[in-house]
Amino acid sequence: MKKDFLVIFTLVLLAAVLIMGTDFQSVDEYYLTHISDIKEDSYTVTLTISCKEALENYDRLDEALKNEKYVPSDGFILKPTKYVLRKGDTAFDVLYRAARYNRIQLEFQGAEKNSFGSNYIKGINYLYEFSCGENSGWIYTVNGVPPNFGCSQYVLKDGDKLDFVYTCSLGASVLNFKTNGR
Amino acid sequence: MKAFAKIHPFVLMIYFLTIVTVSMFVSNPVIKLLSLAGAFLFSFMLTDKKEKLEDIKFYLPLALLIAVTNPLFSHNGETPLFFMNGNAVTLEAVFYGIDISVMIISVMLWFKSCNIIMSSDKLIYLFGRIMPKTALIISMAIRFIPMLKRRINEVSRAQKTMGLYSVQSYTDRLHSLVRVISAVIGWSLEGAVETSRSMKSRGYALKGHTCYSDYKFTGKDTAILSVFISLTALAFWGTSGGCLRFYFYPVISELNTDFRAVVTYSAFGVLAFFPFLFEVEENIRWTYYRSKISALRTQEQKSRL
Repeated sequence: MKKDFLVIFTLVLLAAVLIMGTDFQSVDEYYLTHISDIKEDSYTVTLTISCKEALENYDRLDEALKNEKYVPSDGFILKPTKYVLRKGDTAFDVLYRAARYNRIQLEFQGAEKNSFGSNYIKGINYLYEFSCGENSGWIYTVNGVPPNFGCSQYVLKDGDKLDFVYTCSLGASVLNFKTNGR
Repeated sequence: MKAFAKIHPFVLMIYFLTIVTVSMFVSNPVIKLLSLAGAFLFSFMLTDKKEKLEDIKFYLPLALLIAVTNPLFSHNGETPLFFMNGNAVTLEAVFYGIDISVMIISVMLWFKSCNIIMSSDKLIYLFGRIMPKTALIISMAIRFIPMLKRRINEVSRAQKTMGLYSVQSYTDRLHSLVRVISAVIGWSLEGAVETSRSMKSRGYALKGHTCYSDYKFTGKDTAILSVFISLTALAFWGTSGGCLRFYFYPVISELNTDFRAVVTYSAFGVLAFFPFLFEVEENIRWTYYRSKISALRTQEQKSRL
């Protein structure tokens, strides 16, 4: 019987760690975020979330997503907006804060769940990876150049122009290389 | 033996293949629910009381587990319930999880009844001549799990009578289970090799070798097969226009209820409930005959008096 107690205890412990390590928030709590007001001396970045390529490849888009709500006809999920850059903010932090503030849906895969050590953006505004053909997904550029880091590893500077772009061609239009004919 | 099992094996195979394929690949909740209801009712006709209880104990928690798993990993959907580590747990994902669990449970139940109905001699009859080796392997594989269960019981009982692991401790029992399973797997693998050798020595799979069977394709089988085929064709006609399309993300789409969709639903519904209704009809006939017999008997007794 002693053995049983031990086993049960370890199980309870494991469950406790699992629950304590998981952060639960209600919907209102999640969207109740403060973004600092822009003052004269504050550092800022300009964030854009665009899905122009999904518009260009509209026939390949999922039936369920062919809607002005998910793919706006001007191609902007978030028009260029200035946000305060806090010290040590990565590209992901800025996106995450802006998405929560503007109530834009965002799903990401945590850095601990992939082998790149960086958060991976799976979908923004219900527009997901593979939603528009097999080569589609979210990529990002800083000042027009795609950095060679994951978005939660790249620390931004004052005045940076951060773009999250939905691509349907493995980023060919942004990265300036040709994909193998597809 | 059940009445449904007396239908020609070829017709049965066609039936199970269509019903399982449709339940797996058509992404419409009505179709899935019909399939689940049909599978549930039919498999309940095939099992006794104790097994029914065990089935419920197994399939209900399994369904719940599958349904809960999806929203933990899929965060798409417009109606967030709460947020977990920064990702939304949404209503749509919960419903999608339920949808997946309905699909998996219905397919499992269909396979369960298929397992009971399609005995190994039927499989050998169907495939024995075209691909004898595959048929033998399939029939052995299907038999493997139930046999494993039976043997585990046997071995563990033997261990208990030897006085091993009679302590009331879960870890000890777990330990004994590992031991028993390793013994049983060794035994069964050896058995499988022996079976194939013994089949070979009897000349199985040689040219001109025949298998005994007493299956005849009767007029009734033709009628049933044509019913199946016409229902399936009707269902296919309905699906071809894409009117059964249904999606959960980002919002759960509305269920199509126009004429074409309703025709498809009802055609598939009849197909899914067919084995159950077949059994019910047979049971009614049986009770009718029995009551007739007993009525005759009482009449006879009366006349004797």
